[in-house]
Amino acid sequence: MQLGSLQTRRQLLKTSALGFGHLALTTMLAADEGTGQNELNSSNPLAPKKPHLLSRAKRIIFLFMKGGPSHVDTFDPKPLLTRDSGKPLPFALPRVTFAKQNNLLRSPWKFKQYGESGLPVSSLFPKVAQHVDDMCILRSVHGTNPAHGGALLKLHTGTDQFVRPSLGAWVTYGLGTENQNLPAFVTICPTLAHGGVNNWGAAFLPAHCQGTPIGNASLTAAKARVKHIRNPRISQELQRKQLDFLSQMNRGHMDDVGSTAALEGRLNSFELAYRMQTAMPDVQELANESQMTKRLYGIDDPVTEDFGRQCLLARRFLERGVRFVQVTHSDSEVQWDQHSNLYQGHIKNAAEVDKPIAGLLSDLKTRGLLKDTLVVWGGEFGRTPTAQGTNGRDHNPHGFSMWMAGGGVKGGYAYGATDDYGYYAAVDKMHVHDLHATILHLLGLDHEQLTFRYAGRDFRLTDVAGEVATDILA
Amino acid sequence: MRSHRFKSRTLLSLTAALSFLSALAGISSAVEDVLSPEQIDFFESKVRPLLVKRCYECHAGEEDNGGLSLDSREGLRRGGDTGPAIKPGDPEMSLLIEAVRYQNQDLKMPPKNRLPADEVAVLERWIAMGAPDPRTVTANSGPKPTGMSIKDGRTFWSFLPVDDPAPPEVKQADWVRTPIDAFILAELEERGLSPAPPADKRSLIRRVTFDLIGLPPTRDEVDAFLMDDSPVAFQRVVDRLLQSPHYGVRWGRHWLDVARYADSNGLDENLAFGNAWRYRDYVVNAFNNDKPFDRFVIEQLAGDLLSTPTLETRTATGFLVLGAKVLAEPDRDKLTMDTIDEQLDTIGKVFLGMTIGCVRCHDHKFDPLKQTDYYALAAIMKSTQTFGDSMTGVIKHWNEHEFATEEEKIELKRLDAEIAKRNSAASTFKSQATTKLRAAIQAKAAEYLAAATQFAPDAPLTIVQEVAALQELHPRVLHHCRLHLKYNKETPFFSKWHELSRRGDSADAVHSHYKSLFNEVETTLAEKKKADPKSTTLDDPRLEEARSALSDASGFLAIPPKPEFAFDQPTLQEYYRLMEAARLFESSAADAPAVMGVTDGTVLTSLPIHIRGSHLNLGVAVNREFPEVMRSSRVRPIFSNQQSGRLELARWMAHTQHPLTARVYVNRIWRWHFGAGIVRTTENFGRLGDRPTHANLLDWLARYMMENGWSTKQLHRLILRSSVYQMSVLHPNAKAGQEIDPDDRWLWKFRMQRLESEQVRDSILSVSGRLDMSLGGKTVPLRNRQFVFNHTSVDHTKYDSLRRALYLPVIRNNLYTLFEQFDFPDPTMPTGSRHTTVVAPQALLLLNSELVMDSADHFAQRLLRESQDGAMRVRAAYEWAYARPPSPSELLNALSFLASVTAGGRTDASTVEADVQQTAWSLFCQTLIASNEFFYLR
Repeated sequence: MQLGSLQTRRQLLKTSALGFGHLALTTMLAADEGTGQNELNSSNPLAPKKPHLLSRAKRIIFLFMKGGPSHVDTFDPKPLLTRDSGKPLPFALPRVTFAKQNNLLRSPWKFKQYGESGLPVSSLFPKVAQHVDDMCILRSVHGTNPAHGGALLKLHTGTDQFVRPSLGAWVTYGLGTENQNLPAFVTICPTLAHGGVNNWGAAFLPAHCQGTPIGNASLTAAKARVKHIRNPRISQELQRKQLDFLSQMNRGHMDDVGSTAALEGRLNSFELAYRMQTAMPDVQELANESQMTKRLYGIDDPVTEDFGRQCLLARRFLERGVRFVQVTHSDSEVQWDQHSNLYQGHIKNAAEVDKPIAGLLSDLKTRGLLKDTLVVWGGEFGRTPTAQGTNGRDHNPHGFSMWMAGGGVKGGYAYGATDDYGYYAAVDKMHVHDLHATILHLLGLDHEQLTFRYAGRDFRLTDVAGEVATDILA
Repeated sequence: MRSHRFKSRTLLSLTAALSFLSALAGISSAVEDVLSPEQIDFFESKVRPLLVKRCYECHAGEEDNGGLSLDSREGLRRGGDTGPAIKPGDPEMSLLIEAVRYQNQDLKMPPKNRLPADEVAVLERWIAMGAPDPRTVTANSGPKPTGMSIKDGRTFWSFLPVDDPAPPEVKQADWVRTPIDAFILAELEERGLSPAPPADKRSLIRRVTFDLIGLPPTRDEVDAFLMDDSPVAFQRVVDRLLQSPHYGVRWGRHWLDVARYADSNGLDENLAFGNAWRYRDYVVNAFNNDKPFDRFVIEQLAGDLLSTPTLETRTATGFLVLGAKVLAEPDRDKLTMDTIDEQLDTIGKVFLGMTIGCVRCHDHKFDPLKQTDYYALAAIMKSTQTFGDSMTGVIKHWNEHEFATEEEKIELKRLDAEIAKRNSAASTFKSQATTKLRAAIQAKAAEYLAAATQFAPDAPLTIVQEVAALQELHPRVLHHCRLHLKYNKETPFFSKWHELSRRGDSADAVHSHYKSLFNEVETTLAEKKKADPKSTTLDDPRLEEARSALSDASGFLAIPPKPEFAFDQPTLQEYYRLMEAARLFESSAADAPAVMGVTDGTVLTSLPIHIRGSHLNLGVAVNREFPEVMRSSRVRPIFSNQQSGRLELARWMAHTQHPLTARVYVNRIWRWHFGAGIVRTTENFGRLGDRPTHANLLDWLARYMMENGWSTKQLHRLILRSSVYQMSVLHPNAKAGQEIDPDDRWLWKFRMQRLESEQVRDSILSVSGRLDMSLGGKTVPLRNRQFVFNHTSVDHTKYDSLRRALYLPVIRNNLYTLFEQFDFPDPTMPTGSRHTTVVAPQALLLLNSELVMDSADHFAQRLLRESQDGAMRVRAAYEWAYARPPSPSELLNALSFLASVTAGGRTDASTVEADVQQTAWSLFCQTLIASNEFFYLR
């Protein structure tokens, strides 16, 4: 086949056969069956790439809490909020609020200091709190949209107005992947509402950068599968026979019309698909995990089973070289969206994730993966310190908390602050663009250099903004 | 808030102007002239270091964010986008002070951290002093001009008037069948290239049939063409295809790509566009009826404003409403401007090949488009209503034109009531079940508290379940009860529990304590009610606390909000049944007869420029206008003050003198026939777009189309008649071609093209004899404005219809998998050139999806009925799938594959012979479908 130097990289990206997956030119690649590792090959856009900068983290897992967990009830204690509960907010509300705001509402949970760092965490997260010394709590995140859809899109793609590549797609575009038989970017049980596919889409980036969804939020993690990964009607041997026949036909066709990159790539894409049919179910088969590991993630407990399974699956993807894994805590009630009944809702939600997340952190640490795996936790916004109704909190994109662990961030460290009541980010404000710039930086990517030319413009995840929060680098 | 403040500032300065202006001027010039050593010292020791440390990073030198430079006296006083940064002598009226005080939510500086109070005080004092500033260096003078000037723009190729080029002279004159050929051949000859020989008839009929109607030719159609030796045989095929209603299905779809057509909103809240299909039908009919393109443009932009608007022309304006909108955006003004931006971006790319959206925030960086051009157009769109008045909760509804009769309205009201009734049946059932459950749980309150002593708060639910089972308690409620106790240790009611639970016989102690407490509450309340039936609370604080805790719906006996966690299986199943019944009823309920479309709103003859695109930061107003660089007349356009101006805009765009409209359209027609445009960037004719390979041909085609009454079908006939369209994909001297022109930009051979997603799906159904050829109508299985996805993420959209792919739902945010895999365009932005990617999930879909496996089964059954003879079956399969018979070796290979499957392919000992036959033929058919030859047109 011809891969003439005249062929531009973009054309190659458009036409070549990519698996989840690589340029399937097996003749050019020496593939190691076990890990699917390929020799570095410049013509494979998913081959692992050298990052721009020193990379502190090689892979990333985003623990997404859909609906907006309340920061003032979890990771951002506010004594004045407790003191002044029931009084009006002593400064102006934002120009636009989602719902009507009442007076300040104290947190029903107590905060306690943990670890050597003594960082405070509320009683909602007693198990995650055991890991504070590995965590960097970002208390000044802001800049998402006041509605779920807009905020999800902003957090995942940097814009709430256009269809743009998602964070995971940019990371895949920038770093490629370590395992060519698995997708580079996986999202487990994502929500299809509020932006849906756009939250893991590639937009104008090459198609291989898009996230591969495994199930969706309406399915339990135990039932989540990649589409079309098995043929339920025929045996693998028979399918092998069929593929040999197909390959024979395709070669005959190429004898007639001449070989092109596209035809050759398509021929090989079937071989790759065949290999993926084995690789993917292998990851999802948890039978070989020990009882102890399953207990660590809470898989033995119906309360924590589902999210625990997601977290364990995530670890299995990460250790096999998948670059970006997202897990989503979402249910039919928009999970963390407690406009009312904050108390009951947050207890239930925290109970579902506390143990699995703590388990994941322990497990990553034990396996030596935490040091170069960036763990990011958070929702699309926080919640207001003011009450909605009597016992709920409204959306708050103006200041909220996320946290990171591992992957080269300072442990036992709190970055930034909101005001005395937790309404607005006030100190070392971290806009979503800054968050994105920082995440990319930790992965060794310069957010200003990671660009893609589309419709005549060089696009970036961070648009024309974004500043790396260097204070949090270990 | 900011613009408000801005207005009041203006008012204030107006009233104050006369009295203060001279005084202020006096102060500032005085300061300019002589600064006291104390003033200089104050600036140098306090102010300058502060500015350097806190502000220069973004407001000095090259960095002038918001147009503001603070590294010079002049820059500070001139200010940025929002006006002068300071008013010397008046800190209260100085924007700089307002910003550092952090009180205005939309204007806080520095952005990351608030200044310490003492630094704010320094700035206040300095401005009160009259802002003495000894700096002499001049600031860079305002925003630098960017992009191309209008004057240069008028000489850029795409803004030049459409030329009238004569077809060039060529050497190989016998190859030239149409003027198109002359233009193509001249370029080839100049580069030492020669055109490929004509394609064989089988390839040609397969190519043109897919091209014009999106389907493979039938065996009869192939045979008829092979038998027809007349010179007009191919023309007959073309005419037959152009007259087929399926021409509109294929070419209408091309336009829908450009019009970013979808059946749902996408973006933040995915509501069904239940009436979008009427626009789809409009487009299909427009192509089938060869509606003149100029008329097509005018109807889509201003069909409601024509002197005699019809339902059809109003339907056309759905074009402007189909975009993805942030329907739940709480900031209404932002939503309006975002929507206008989407419309202008679309209009620009679709009709003019211009990226107008880039100009929202600043003058175009590359093209001669200015912010004044943008807001002149935005004024037109702001005078247009894209939203209606109704809402679903916080979700706004797009505008529709309803045309229900009185009778239909009555029926619709009944339907709406029925839907509401069914929805409330489900929610009533749920709340009744909850009430019942709550009563049962409250009756056992003491048992719950006692059982809660038996496990730790972090015990797994499995343990809790065991404890709960002993007393028939609800495990999840018990679990919550334990957590609640953990979080509530202080109040007397709960602290008692903690006290008792530390004892050895804790369960019994807790039970007896609370049992008697609750009994006491009950009897006391009953007595009190005797005296006053309305009383609900108790006077004794101890009893009142117990009563209140017991009745608190989110207290220690709270029921899980998730129905799956709250109810037993029978209750849950009944609840689901009612929900599903309500959803199904709504999905299939008739919509109000209505079309999506815009209407004129309050007419604005001008709109202020939005500085940096922000609706909170308004500049000078500009009148409605067309982009200056594209105006060919010196007469400024005149807009009706009774209408938005869309009609004037549409007519101007559809004018034969417009430099872009016809060029952009014929270029796309070319792209859709040849796989690449004369200008490859079909939506960008600007400086960053590609230049035309055949500029003269492009102009010649544009002129030809306009001369022929903007007829699309005439253009097809001419193109298809040309030698260039009928060339083979193979060239006897391909090596030379590859060397000189590897991308085949100059068309020395026909470009092999992969089927597009709809062609893939329709041809799979077609060869298996399953395709339903019916046309038109509503096909999205949702009622208008119904949620495609509510929070549950359950995907109810089915794609099992056997109608042509055009009629499958286009759900934004969740495209049909086959569409997504095979490069269906993003239905939120205009796409004239689809990509062609090859990814492994495509192979998985072809190997393992129901659509392909079922179709292969049908294909096989068709073969088994066709003949008893294996060779005849293989022959038929090849002819249906590839429009050609198999070669002898292909036949042998096929038969040997079939034999190997029937020999060893049994997966189940009980499989009967007929099933093995069916399996073998089905696998054979699936292989044909998956093959490269099926997917590529030669």
